[in-house]
Amino acid sequence: MSAALPHTAIERFVANLKAIPNNLRAATLRGGTPNTDRSRSSFVFGNVFLHLHPVRVHRWSLRWTTTFGLGIMATAAFLITLVTGVLLMFYYKPYPDAAYISIKDIHFVVPTGRFIRNIHRWAANVMVVAVLLHMARAFYTGAYRKPREFNWLIGMGLLVTTLGLSFTGYLLPWDQLAYWAITIGANIAQSPREVTDALNLTESFDPGGLQKLLLLGSSEVGEEALIRFFLLHVMLLPLVLFGLAAVHFWRIRKDGGLVRPANADEILGPRTEAYPVFTEAPKKTYQLAAIVKGKTAAVGKGPENTLPSMPHLFYAELGILMLTAGICLALAMVSDAPLKELANPAVPENPAKAPWYFLGLQELVAHSAFMGGIGIPSIVLIGLGLIPFLDRETAGTGEWFGGPGGKPLVLQAIVVGLGSAIAIEAVAIQFGWIREWFPKAPQLLITLINPGTVLTLVYALYSVWLVKKHDSTRAGALGLFTCFLCGFALLTLIGTYFRGPNWNFYWSPADWPAH
Amino acid sequence: MRNNKLLLLFGSFLSLALLVVAAAQENVFREWRRVQSTAKAPGGPVEKRLRQVVVPALGVTDRCVTCHVGMSAGEPNVPGNPALAAHPPIPHDPASYGCTTCHSGQGRATEKADAHGTVPHWPEPMIPKVNADAGCGTCHSHIEVPNTKALRSGQAVFERYDCLSCHKVDGRGGTLRPGGGGMEGPDLSRIGAAGYKADWYEKHLEKSRTAGGPWTSTFGTIPDVERGDLETFLRTRVGAPKLVLAKALFHSLGCRGCHKIGGVGGDDGPELTAAGQRDPALSDFTHVPGERTLSNWWAEHFRNPSGVVPGSQMPAMVESEEDIQLLTHYVLSLRRGKFPEAFWPRDRIRAERFGEREFATDGATLYTTFCAACHGPAGEGMRYAGLPVFPAIGNPDFLELATDEMIAATVKSGRPGRRMPAWGEKAGGLRPEEVAAVVAHVRSLSPVRPQPDGKPRVWARPDAAHGPSVYARACASCHGDKGQGGEGPALANKVLLGSASDTYLFETIRRGRRGTSMEAFSRPSTTRPALSDSEIESVVAFVRGFEKGEKK
Repeated sequence: MSAALPHTAIERFVANLKAIPNNLRAATLRGGTPNTDRSRSSFVFGNVFLHLHPVRVHRWSLRWTTTFGLGIMATAAFLITLVTGVLLMFYYKPYPDAAYISIKDIHFVVPTGRFIRNIHRWAANVMVVAVLLHMARAFYTGAYRKPREFNWLIGMGLLVTTLGLSFTGYLLPWDQLAYWAITIGANIAQSPREVTDALNLTESFDPGGLQKLLLLGSSEVGEEALIRFFLLHVMLLPLVLFGLAAVHFWRIRKDGGLVRPANADEILGPRTEAYPVFTEAPKKTYQLAAIVKGKTAAVGKGPENTLPSMPHLFYAELGILMLTAGICLALAMVSDAPLKELANPAVPENPAKAPWYFLGLQELVAHSAFMGGIGIPSIVLIGLGLIPFLDRETAGTGEWFGGPGGKPLVLQAIVVGLGSAIAIEAVAIQFGWIREWFPKAPQLLITLINPGTVLTLVYALYSVWLVKKHDSTRAGALGLFTCFLCGFALLTLIGTYFRGPNWNFYWSPADWPAH
Repeated sequence: MRNNKLLLLFGSFLSLALLVVAAAQENVFREWRRVQSTAKAPGGPVEKRLRQVVVPALGVTDRCVTCHVGMSAGEPNVPGNPALAAHPPIPHDPASYGCTTCHSGQGRATEKADAHGTVPHWPEPMIPKVNADAGCGTCHSHIEVPNTKALRSGQAVFERYDCLSCHKVDGRGGTLRPGGGGMEGPDLSRIGAAGYKADWYEKHLEKSRTAGGPWTSTFGTIPDVERGDLETFLRTRVGAPKLVLAKALFHSLGCRGCHKIGGVGGDDGPELTAAGQRDPALSDFTHVPGERTLSNWWAEHFRNPSGVVPGSQMPAMVESEEDIQLLTHYVLSLRRGKFPEAFWPRDRIRAERFGEREFATDGATLYTTFCAACHGPAGEGMRYAGLPVFPAIGNPDFLELATDEMIAATVKSGRPGRRMPAWGEKAGGLRPEEVAAVVAHVRSLSPVRPQPDGKPRVWARPDAAHGPSVYARACASCHGDKGQGGEGPALANKVLLGSASDTYLFETIRRGRRGTSMEAFSRPSTTRPALSDSEIESVVAFVRGFEKGEKK
């Protein structure tokens, strides 16, 4: 730079021109280069995206075993689907037959189109898995407890939105797989008719028919359904997810960061590395904490066990992001997203299967569409939503499988959950169910008594027994949640790998009757 | 922090490495690039890029020419490798018809297995090369083809009169040049499609008288009958000799007696209109050895129908492997592509808009097309395991007694309750003039003629004392005690009794039918005495009673 001040307008102009990189940087970063803890903190706080983070993060939250990065992994998978999804939208045409052709073109001629579609598909699956595991983590560490009840509910909303996103994306390729999976989904939406039919109400009161109509925009899966699913998939549900996720992140920070045991500081012990708390003397210590009421991260605690989010938390988050990307890329490389024949309403798929995460429900749907598709999922969702309000205990918060009973209880619940699910499925597969025993049995009876409801009842009774035995709601919740998780896993496994044509049980697809 | 940094480093390197590999895989190491790099045109290597034929009117986007570069419009020929060379000359320019229109397969694909359609979840794999002209059936499903006998005799005439010395047909002949080095005769391989002048014969004859040289030595008069056969043969020269042969065989075996194609045929077997387009994945290959291809399925099915389709009543109609492959070829040609009418060939328009048949309609071809499977190619009757015996309608004893009216009534109204359909009444059956042509052909199976019969149709006097007992003794064992049939045909049939005269019944009983189980009852046999004329008359009257009994 020239030492002398520029005098003429031209010289000033040239100097400004030269200063553009520096000035642009200053304008972007606002508070100058974030190179000290203090400036980094204000950078995080002042950035529209980063301010969803806490400025400082507890050392407990950075331990890998605290969360295994599952929430970030779900977020990362969502970002990957977002990027790849937008790229796919450049070529995708949401109209029957044209949709199928456009996917063929994406597969065969769009440069790297096949790879991007594969990533999109795998990231969507990774996201579903990560969301489910993240929920399990939050449950087992008691993260739903006060003051995080609301965020648990938001999380449930995110789970439903994630499944909705995945399900609506399933129809878009307009192939046989898509067409018949959505047909099943639509029939499940219509399944309240099972009850209204049995009660002779359908003509005057038909919520099932209305639900199906709302879902498909028509009586069959067709162009109306496709454009509807497309809109939901690329616009409405992503917006809902954005909103819920923003609140979810924000509430983590406002609810005092990630859950940790009351004695987290003792467990962590003193810092091994001598890390300066502030590299620069603070001008206004705790000014922020002073105006924030309640149990927030910093109130009443020294800063000794917290670290600046930038860079500590960001390294962890970016690490998980890149790991997730790597996983999705690797999966995309070894396995192509499926694309079967063009959708053909005249040739039903047999077996027609829903997306894998719904196959556990489809397993129950085989007996009663209403209970499997709507009744039991509703019971589960309501149960999940009630957990934080029924379990008001504090023991074991922040610990894996914390609370009365602990790990042994969870192991026992795994045995009970898997055992009873296997037993009931074995009976249903080996000996059939009420319909096979009494062909004239009314449907309402089967709706009430089927493997799904029996299993739910067994789990519920077991959990009530646990509550009594341990004199703790948490113990019952631990047992019930574990049981449902095991039942879900087992039924999903059976639906995915052991069900063939006409939903008959087969040990291997090799045994399927040839056709 | 160190662990997280390492995680970030690891994740980033992993993603970066995978992206680099994928970028190379998806862009550089594509199969078609490798294929194009082997293509050496005379003017240098071909430009490496995706190529495609797009015909919106046919709904075709075919990227086959990405590998088969020489076949795309405006590209140089790549001699040496037939897969990369220019397409063999055909009347349909691939640039305006696409590839999959004829060959089937997955035109949008850019990888060999996907494009040839030999992958799961692609319902229309390529038609095998040996069956290539079955693809013509996509549009030309209506070529008028006679039965094999007529086709062969036309070909025999063509060869006997030495037409091949000047004319090339299907790659044979055409060596002699008139006037010593003059122009050779035109290639007649497609003359049936292109059409020819009606006065070709007169012109040839005149030339043979005036032009001299080879004209005089090679061409002479051809009798009208043989000229008719010759023209039948010429009309089938449409550039698809194997398809014509296959279609002729299909229409010689009586397949349409049970199967409908394009709405025409019987109802006993499955409709075959689009049998060549069936998704192999929807076929049962449990009992089919070898590859899971449609042609394999059909060939095995023709070898052993009930072995491939359990419960099928269809008999094995042909034995030689050549015929099995021909029938397979014809079935593969049953495609009926849906195209705008502007693309329809003339024969298809004539068939679908003007109601013409998609096969020859002379009596002989109609007979072999609809009747031969059951009644035999020469009316000798057929016997298939598990099915009742089919009557020998070419039997002289039958033709000597049955009037044309009776045969026509039988063809038209069938035998209700039995396998014989009412060809003149059912949908997809025969038109009145076709019934007449079939009757004339049946009549031609034997030189005998029915004698004029002065008696009224019904003249037999009932004889309550003898009729039932004689019938029970002599007839019931084969025809059933109530005429319901058994080893012999059912007699309690309103079409039979409505069209047969008493004279017909009387004489049939009296003389029997030679070559069948029906004996001459006027002569004694080892198991029973002869029936007198009055006993036969009483039986005729008794059988006549079934007509009334049936109406109950």
